[in-house]
Amino acid sequence: MAAGVKHDYHLVDPSPWPLVGSIAATVMALGGVAWMKGLFGLPEGTSWLFFAGFAGVLFTMLGWWADVVKEANRGDHTPVVSIGLRYGMILFIASEVMFFVAWFWVFFEMALFHEVRTHSPIEDVRAAWATWPPQGVETVPAFQLPLVNTLILLLSGTTVTWAHHALQQGDRKSTKIGLVLTIALGVLFTAVQAYEYHHIFSHNYFFGGENAGNSGLYGSSFVMATGFHGFHVLVGTLFLIVCLIRLMGTGMTQKQHFGFEAAAWYWHFVDVVWLFLFAFVYVIFGGPAH
Amino acid sequence: MAQAAAHDHDHGHDDHGHTPGFFTRWFLSTNHKDIGTLYLIFAIMAGIVGGALSGLIRWELAEPGIQVFTEGSWLAQIKIAGVSLIEPSKHGYNVVVTAHALIMIFFMVMPAMIGGFGNWFVPLMIGAPDMAFPRMNNISFWLLVAAWVLLCCSLFVDGGPGKGFGGGWTAYPPLSTSGHTGPAMDLAILSLHLAGASSILGSINFITTIFNMRAPGMTLHRMPLFVWSVLVTVFLLLLSLPVLAGAITMLLTDRNFNTHFFDAAGGGDPVMYQHLFWFFGHPEVYILILPGFGIISHIVSTFSRKPVFGYLAMAYAMVAIGFIGFVVWAHHMYTVGMPIELRAYFVAATMVIAVPTGVKVFSWIATMWGGSISFKTPMLWAIGFIFLFTVGGVTGVVLANAGIDYSLHDTYYVVAHFHYVLSLGAVFAIFAGFYYWYEKIWGVKYNEFLGALHFWITFVGVNLIFFPQHFLGLQGMPRRYVDFPDGFAYWNHVSSIGYAVTVAGVAVFMLVLIESAIRRRKAEANPWGEGATTLEWTLSSPPPFHQFNELPVVKPDVH
Amino acid sequence: MKSSFHAWRTRAAGALAGATAAFWGATAWAVDNIGEPTDRAIDLQPGVTQLRHDAIFFHNVILLPLITLITLFVLALLIIVVVKFNRKANPVPAKFSHNTALEVAWTLIPVLILVFVAIFSFRLLFAYNDMPKPDLTVKATGYQWYWGYEYPDQEIGEFISNNLPEEQAKAEKRPYRLAATEPLVVPVNKVVRVQVTAADVIHAFAVPSFGIITDAIPGRLNEIWFKAERIGVYYGNCRELCGVDHAFMPIEVRVVSQADFDAWVAKKGGNPAGAAAALEAPAADAAATPAAATEAAPAAPSPATPEPQAPAATPTAPPAPAAN
Ligand code: HEA
Ligand code: HEA
Ligand code: CUA
Ligand SMILES: [Cu+2]
Repeated sequence: MAAGVKHDYHLVDPSPWPLVGSIAATVMALGGVAWMKGLFGLPEGTSWLFFAGFAGVLFTMLGWWADVVKEANRGDHTPVVSIGLRYGMILFIASEVMFFVAWFWVFFEMALFHEVRTHSPIEDVRAAWATWPPQGVETVPAFQLPLVNTLILLLSGTTVTWAHHALQQGDRKSTKIGLVLTIALGVLFTAVQAYEYHHIFSHNYFFGGENAGNSGLYGSSFVMATGFHGFHVLVGTLFLIVCLIRLMGTGMTQKQHFGFEAAAWYWHFVDVVWLFLFAFVYVIFGGPAH
Repeated sequence: MAQAAAHDHDHGHDDHGHTPGFFTRWFLSTNHKDIGTLYLIFAIMAGIVGGALSGLIRWELAEPGIQVFTEGSWLAQIKIAGVSLIEPSKHGYNVVVTAHALIMIFFMVMPAMIGGFGNWFVPLMIGAPDMAFPRMNNISFWLLVAAWVLLCCSLFVDGGPGKGFGGGWTAYPPLSTSGHTGPAMDLAILSLHLAGASSILGSINFITTIFNMRAPGMTLHRMPLFVWSVLVTVFLLLLSLPVLAGAITMLLTDRNFNTHFFDAAGGGDPVMYQHLFWFFGHPEVYILILPGFGIISHIVSTFSRKPVFGYLAMAYAMVAIGFIGFVVWAHHMYTVGMPIELRAYFVAATMVIAVPTGVKVFSWIATMWGGSISFKTPMLWAIGFIFLFTVGGVTGVVLANAGIDYSLHDTYYVVAHFHYVLSLGAVFAIFAGFYYWYEKIWGVKYNEFLGALHFWITFVGVNLIFFPQHFLGLQGMPRRYVDFPDGFAYWNHVSSIGYAVTVAGVAVFMLVLIESAIRRRKAEANPWGEGATTLEWTLSSPPPFHQFNELPVVKPDVH
Repeated sequence: MKSSFHAWRTRAAGALAGATAAFWGATAWAVDNIGEPTDRAIDLQPGVTQLRHDAIFFHNVILLPLITLITLFVLALLIIVVVKFNRKANPVPAKFSHNTALEVAWTLIPVLILVFVAIFSFRLLFAYNDMPKPDLTVKATGYQWYWGYEYPDQEIGEFISNNLPEEQAKAEKRPYRLAATEPLVVPVNKVVRVQVTAADVIHAFAVPSFGIITDAIPGRLNEIWFKAERIGVYYGNCRELCGVDHAFMPIEVRVVSQADFDAWVAKKGGNPAGAAAALEAPAADAAATPAAATEAAPAAPSPATPEPQAPAATPTAPPAPAAN
């Protein structure tokens, strides 16, 4: 650092990643539209542009976070900087919470006020929404796989806490075990979820079934809410895997391991979202047991 | 500062002392002032495009009948490689209105106030060397450029009824789903996603900077009001934008993946989108004005040579506006058929906002009261702001009353209301800030005469555009009309003349920029004298590439 | 209950309108062009329903003077400041930055003003909501880009109301972009309930001189009502952006005498007696009505669906809104 700097803040070097990442995001968006609708002469269904952009985004993330790790390792993350990182992560999670608010909003609107739809001028809709769950919808029983998944996530919350405590004690071996368990539980959750989706789709629980035409809102909000949660589980799992890789090397110390904490916070956030989903989507508004 | 000394030696980056090369400096920047400058240039460019689009609107509405947006008009002749730029059709008009609004809001006002002034002056005012996450700061900017590219692409590809998306900036379904089947709407949605991501990252950055990087002695209650205003603004962004992201994601999936969120035939409800949109949309309008409040406070105090009146009340009034701003959204939806109790609630809650806003207006006047005011260009814009914003604010209070909104909803009265708070409120605040910090940012002086000329022409012009629109609205002229009954001809004509005057004002603004760039009169560190008390005036103009290598210590009297 | 308060209010509104008219040198427009916009006019279109009168009163007598005063007050303060406290007039600035009494005052006084406004505001709002027992129900369905009207009580199936083409409007000396190919016809002095929905995208049914608007939303059935007190032609518009021809789907309402209305119903092939029957069983037989124009918008829900819950048909409601 140049002479005369008398503060502990981290003045980051110029970096290519923001520019590269934005270009990649543009390509990905254009590619997505080309895929869905066709664009600029590319016929509908063209997917390579999207994947090119997606690869660019992944490449950016990799390069960017590799830089962050490098900077952390060389001591740029002074105490005040790491407080800043904490703020950053908490605020990011706060924005994620608000994102889920949108999906829950729709779900509650539908579930709490389903009888409003019995005033619809569309006859089929009136009929379909006179009951809860709406006609043609078979809800997923809460106390089977969803309950199992709840337990899996709760358990993973404890294993990640175990790993964290071990790291604070300097016990890297236990940390790794705790982390591996957490990751395994995360993968298990995703697998169960995938199975559930497969079941839902192949048995036409609320998509495409004979009577489900007018209750499509149920399937939409169920799949998008749980789907976005599932996506966040994947991201959280990847985040934990990165931590594990860093722990395998010399990264993360007993004193300084914010990357790990951030991953743990994120994991807890994902966990809590699931608890809400379980409580409301599966249990309270799950409809009569079957 | 032992810590700093300790990690001094083994760092490879010894380029901190001097400015990097051109490409590195402007494309790979991690410097808050350079990024702020990029934002400002971007905003000026977007303002010109958005202003030109509003010119098309006013040209079309200058008289009854369809003159511009029709085959064979002059607009149809403008072609690049045989393709007309904007489709000369009724649909084209809707596209232009939509693009005008999106550009002005997301690509002009927000980048100017938050990205531009916020980036430049939040760190300077709190005595920080840079933003908390300088690299993330840069992706906020470039994501905005990405969003801009997508929006521009959207204008030129098929929307369904014609080229581009013409469903209004609010993008209500089903018009934005089954009503626009082409890729234009998908591009617009993804553009908003990227602009939203840009703003969310920016918000995280500002909040962290303000909470974590204040200089010693800079307590929250000593923080300059502009910093307060940005703090409240970015909280609103952080909490409201993700909801918009959810809503437009639902639009996207309804359009492409067969979901039925807003599809009545599938049990969905278009009104649900409106709730989600306005839960974002209403805080958004305060996002557009709050930083302006901050800017005005500084200018009024500086040129009155008096401290801000009621500093704490000013800060907490903004906090209050932010809070209440989250619970009034459905005043945009009085006509959708909500239960009466709900409408009554939203009437009451909405009117409450007038109270903290009044506190601000009166405190500005009290700041001037007893002062020794000099009427430099920034002060002209600031006084203009206070008056015109009040005009726009009180018509908002009229609209807040559901019983009268039934007569005015979706008429030009609403258009007049929000242009008074936006085009004559937010934009006036931007120009006020721009002149106020001109020397600080660019390192050269502007010409006072030209600045004042810019103000007066614009003042006359915009009032001429928008005041008659109240009359049109009261008479019942609906918004988003490419053509109107003859009974609305007169005031529409006046309004369009006003636009011509305003354009002359924008031309003078260009002159200001050119003149100062040619003359290059060297700027002073503090051109405004003793009234200018915030930290940015303690630095040279422009400030060094990295300021505050040694953190300033703030004493109680500095606001 | 035509109280003295009401009379005072009417006089006040009249005086205000007179004053503005005198100020602008225009006098005649308010009377001649009821039901459509008047060029150069600067105020609300005059109304022919009690609700619109109340709204005009609320705006012209309460809100407009109030916001004008507030704005002028702010302007006056600014002028004083500019004149008295400029650098020449006042070279040495004062140093104060607090005055608790003032701050309390400018917080509390606006609160009181707003409470005052809210009283009138809520009364008007609830008046809109208190629909008397309807004499007639019409159903309006928004399509891209025309209206479909249906009279379930009179058994008149849906007919289409389009924008009157320019040539024809000129020939018939009717206002282009306001006149429709087929008007909505209603009897004078009768409570008309309008049920509004849409078949494709959102539209809005708005008639300024009745002071009414409600959105036409697919999958929803919104209700408004009016009781026109003057025979005449009243124009409205679609007031929610609905796509390309949003500006070209006007609403033309013809308010006629009961006899003319019955004749019109007969001409339409409807059953004039249905109106009386409807008082007993509102809208019940609507399902039997054939739909005239469903082919025009294939995605449309059947416009002839029954309206089972009929929420506002409270038989004991007083005949006049509560706002008086
Ligand atoms: C900068 C942006 C901005 C700001 C600050 C505001 C401020 C306010 N707005 Fe506005 N508004 C918009 C931007 C903004 N608005 C936009 C863009 C739309 C249209 C969106 C669309 O449909 O496309 C809109 C629409 C809109 C509507 C919906 C109209 C309709 O569609 O039918 C309503 C209704 O309640 C409303 C109300 C208000 C109120 C009560 C305020 C208040 O915050 C104003 C408070 C200020 C004052 C009152 C003045 C100062 C106070 C005093 C001097 C004290 C004394 C005053 C009193 C006692 C009254 N606005
Ligand atoms: C910030 C927001 C903003 C601004 C500044 C403006 C500015 C203007 N607007 Fe716009 N407008 C909207 C937001 C804005 N508008 C919105 C939200 C809508 C609703 C859209 C919808 O219905 O969906 C709308 C709709 C709208 C309509 C209604 C169209 C319709 O309903 O059919 C009209 C019609 O006259 C109009 C006209 C104008 C005009 C003449 C200006 C003029 O004031 C323009 C003159 C130009 C300037 C004043 C800009 C100069 C600024 C710069 C050059 C940048 C400076 C930057 C720095 C110094 C950093 N606008
Ligand atoms: Cu139909 Cu606008
Ligand atoms: Cu609002």
